[in-house]
Amino acid sequence: MVEALLFFAPASLIIIGALIVIFARNPVHNAMGLVMTLVSLAIIYITLNATFVAMVQMLVYAGAVMTLFLFVIMMIGVDKKEQSTDSIKGQTFLVSGVFLILISLLAYVAISSDFKWDLWFPPVEYDTEGTPQLIAGVLFTEWIFPFEIISILLIVATAAAIALAYDTKKRNSNA
Amino acid sequence: MCHEVKLEFIFLLPIFLPLLTSIFLFLNKKLFNELVTNFFTLNGSLLSFAIASYSFIALALNKFKAVNIELFQWISNPDISIGFTLDGLSGIMLVLVTGLSFVIQLFSTSYMEKDDNHSNYFVYFNFFVFSMLLLVMSSNFLVMFFGWELVGLSSYLLISFWSKKTEAAKAGNKAFVINRVGDFGFLIGLMIILDTFNTFDFYEILHNSTGVNENTITAISLFLLLGAFGKSAQFPLFSWLPDAMEGPTPASALIHAATMVTAGVFMLVRISPLLQHSKLASLLIIVFGLITALLAAFSAINQYDIKKVLAYSTISQLGFMFIAIGAGAYVAAIFHLVTHAFFKALLFLGAGAVIHSMHHEQDIRKMGGLRKKMPVTAAMMGIGTLAISGIPPLAGFWSKDEILASVFANGGIYYIFWALTLGAAFLTAFYMGRHWLLIFEKDNGFDHSDVSEAPKAMTRPLLLLGIFSVFIGFINTPFFHGLEKVLHVTLENVEVTHLPEGITLVVLAVLSIGAGFTGLIIAFLLFGIELHKRIDLQKFKLEYPINLIKDLSLNVLYLNKFGNLFFVSGMKNLSRKVAVVVDGMLIDGSVNFVSTAFNKTSKITSTTQTGMVRNYVVYFGLFLLLLIALFLATPMVPR
Amino acid sequence: MTQRKEIVMLEVTTDWYLTLAAMLFSIGFLGMMIRKNALIMFMCIELMLNAVNLTFISASKHFGQIDGQVFVFFVLVVAAAEVVVGLAIIVSIFRKQSSASVDVLNVSRG
Repeated sequence: MVEALLFFAPASLIIIGALIVIFARNPVHNAMGLVMTLVSLAIIYITLNATFVAMVQMLVYAGAVMTLFLFVIMMIGVDKKEQSTDSIKGQTFLVSGVFLILISLLAYVAISSDFKWDLWFPPVEYDTEGTPQLIAGVLFTEWIFPFEIISILLIVATAAAIALAYDTKKRNSNA
Repeated sequence: MCHEVKLEFIFLLPIFLPLLTSIFLFLNKKLFNELVTNFFTLNGSLLSFAIASYSFIALALNKFKAVNIELFQWISNPDISIGFTLDGLSGIMLVLVTGLSFVIQLFSTSYMEKDDNHSNYFVYFNFFVFSMLLLVMSSNFLVMFFGWELVGLSSYLLISFWSKKTEAAKAGNKAFVINRVGDFGFLIGLMIILDTFNTFDFYEILHNSTGVNENTITAISLFLLLGAFGKSAQFPLFSWLPDAMEGPTPASALIHAATMVTAGVFMLVRISPLLQHSKLASLLIIVFGLITALLAAFSAINQYDIKKVLAYSTISQLGFMFIAIGAGAYVAAIFHLVTHAFFKALLFLGAGAVIHSMHHEQDIRKMGGLRKKMPVTAAMMGIGTLAISGIPPLAGFWSKDEILASVFANGGIYYIFWALTLGAAFLTAFYMGRHWLLIFEKDNGFDHSDVSEAPKAMTRPLLLLGIFSVFIGFINTPFFHGLEKVLHVTLENVEVTHLPEGITLVVLAVLSIGAGFTGLIIAFLLFGIELHKRIDLQKFKLEYPINLIKDLSLNVLYLNKFGNLFFVSGMKNLSRKVAVVVDGMLIDGSVNFVSTAFNKTSKITSTTQTGMVRNYVVYFGLFLLLLIALFLATPMVPR
Repeated sequence: MTQRKEIVMLEVTTDWYLTLAAMLFSIGFLGMMIRKNALIMFMCIELMLNAVNLTFISASKHFGQIDGQVFVFFVLVVAAAEVVVGLAIIVSIFRKQSSASVDVLNVSRG
């Protein structure tokens, strides 16, 4: 009972948040919807025994990334008069086509497996604890190579962002 | 033994000697002047004739047993080789061709004097003699076909000899093309022969013909017949021969009177053992021969060109030979071939002498009264005219009479054929009489003061041929069957039609003499003393039919115009249509269609490249779903 | 006798989480197709990435291995870097224009 509640509450919040993201008019509302989604997602992670990842998610995503988003919205994105949806020629046709295919695929999957939800591989009996010790133990031994590479990636991203957003005219005029 | 060895290889010499002469003269064209060329060619042909006569006599002494030489074998199965044979039939032709070639070359040295292309003429002439001998001396169909084609080539070269004249060039083309149509039939016949008998050799084929299906033999005969029609100018492939008169007259004398056009007759007699088994082929031969004889004779009665009359006369006489073959009288056909060669060559050379003296005037309406100016020519041409009309005891009477008698002897429908042939003989006498009278007798009042007798080099051959035309008939009379003995071995498996005996024969002879005389008398009445100008024709209401006959005769029943319209213009129109529709619209159209289709498709497909991010997102999703669908479609087995 | 209504225990198995992730992904995708504003398209990308993260975590629980969570880590870092660079690009493009619509960026039209 509790588990079900623990699942459904964050799940519904996630869905509502996602719908807010795509349907709201005010960009700030969009951002808020996204925050709601991210926080609920962190709760779900905790129910899945991934505690460390949930914390990291809260810190990085809901904290840093969303703040960045809001900054940029403030800079350029605040345009209330803009329509939320604007159709390109033939877009609705394509989109509805895609939707149709999606629905039919889902129907096919559902029917072919007789509405049972068994997965190919059976679940294991023991639980994994997503403790930092466990993650670190794997991260620094088995996954050391990708770890180093994403550190370089972060530095490169930072440098790239500064280079891209550098406004030479303003800088020169100020100096 | 020694005697036979000498005979075996020596009869090849007359065949290759003209070839050597031709090549020799060709290589030294610039070096030799006219005198040297004449020297070489005359001596070469005289030598060929001498060796040919010797070979023939040796053959006769050996009772006309055939001598075969195989030079080399090309393929062993089917049996195809290059070989030559000397038997009665080829022996006669050998002597005839070499003899006539000598006489006519003697004439040509004077006729072609001061011509720019003097040496070329003799090169072509000797090459023709070589190809004709190749044809007659062949021992299998392959060598005969080589000769057949080369003869067509030489004829083309000689017809369009004065190539600067457009008519001459066109006539040469026409002759070659019409010949080709006949050769097409010949080739198909050869293919069927190879398929049926698995060899080309005459001896093998003609002696093993009894077991073969009659339909195959009929098919072979009909296709080879088509070839003979083309070469011997029978209906419907005859229109090249009158146009071939554009060539030099001595060339016409040899080729289109005596030798090349008789190749068809020769070939049919060669395959007579096969031919006799097919009733349909024989019937067709006689019918077409009759049509040709009558058509040509009718056309000849109102021609104005001195050589065209002789050309139509040749076609008509060839028709006679075909009638003989159709009636089963193979000996008579060869007999008429021989006699015709002599008096037709005589007539042609005489015409050449007249043309030469009249400074290349060829319209007989502008001649007349030349008897006093050119007595020898007139006398010799008179002999020729009497010979062709069938007046005894000249040559033409014996051969023509034999043909008529053989046709009569077959009975049934052949009685009608006999009557028609008799009519053709009557017409022959009529138009030849007209021909001679208009040239030599009737004085039209033209100025002929500068006309004199032809030079000796021309009159001597005329005299020689005149003598032969008188006496050659005696080689095969009902009293002395000389030619039959000669051809006995060649025709040993063939059922030759026998002449009727006794009183029937005499009556038939009288009737044919009568036909000849009647023709000559009517010609004399119309063109000698001009009876029609003295009697008022209005009384008999004959003016319209006479004019109609004259018009139809001159224009050869408008057959040439019809042929031109149907075949030439028709082919041109068809070609134009094909060029425009098939080439222009279909082929060019399909190529253009490919490029325009390509263009259009690329325009349509480039509409997807909008440059809009959202569109690309949609495509992304679409193909992602496609991938998932693919993933679901493939069956998976759990590990 | 006490009549007990049998309570059907709703067991939340792994496929529930996967379904949730799929729904989140499709909503994010739909948003990408519909919206015109560049920033909001970016947020939809974030949605999709989070859906993928959820899938990884639930798979890690299903198989009892920790590698799924480590990979989520990496995805997180990459997403953050991508957001940084992407927003920098958007800022530099749209500084000159009044609106932030992506429809004007059709230079690659062919």
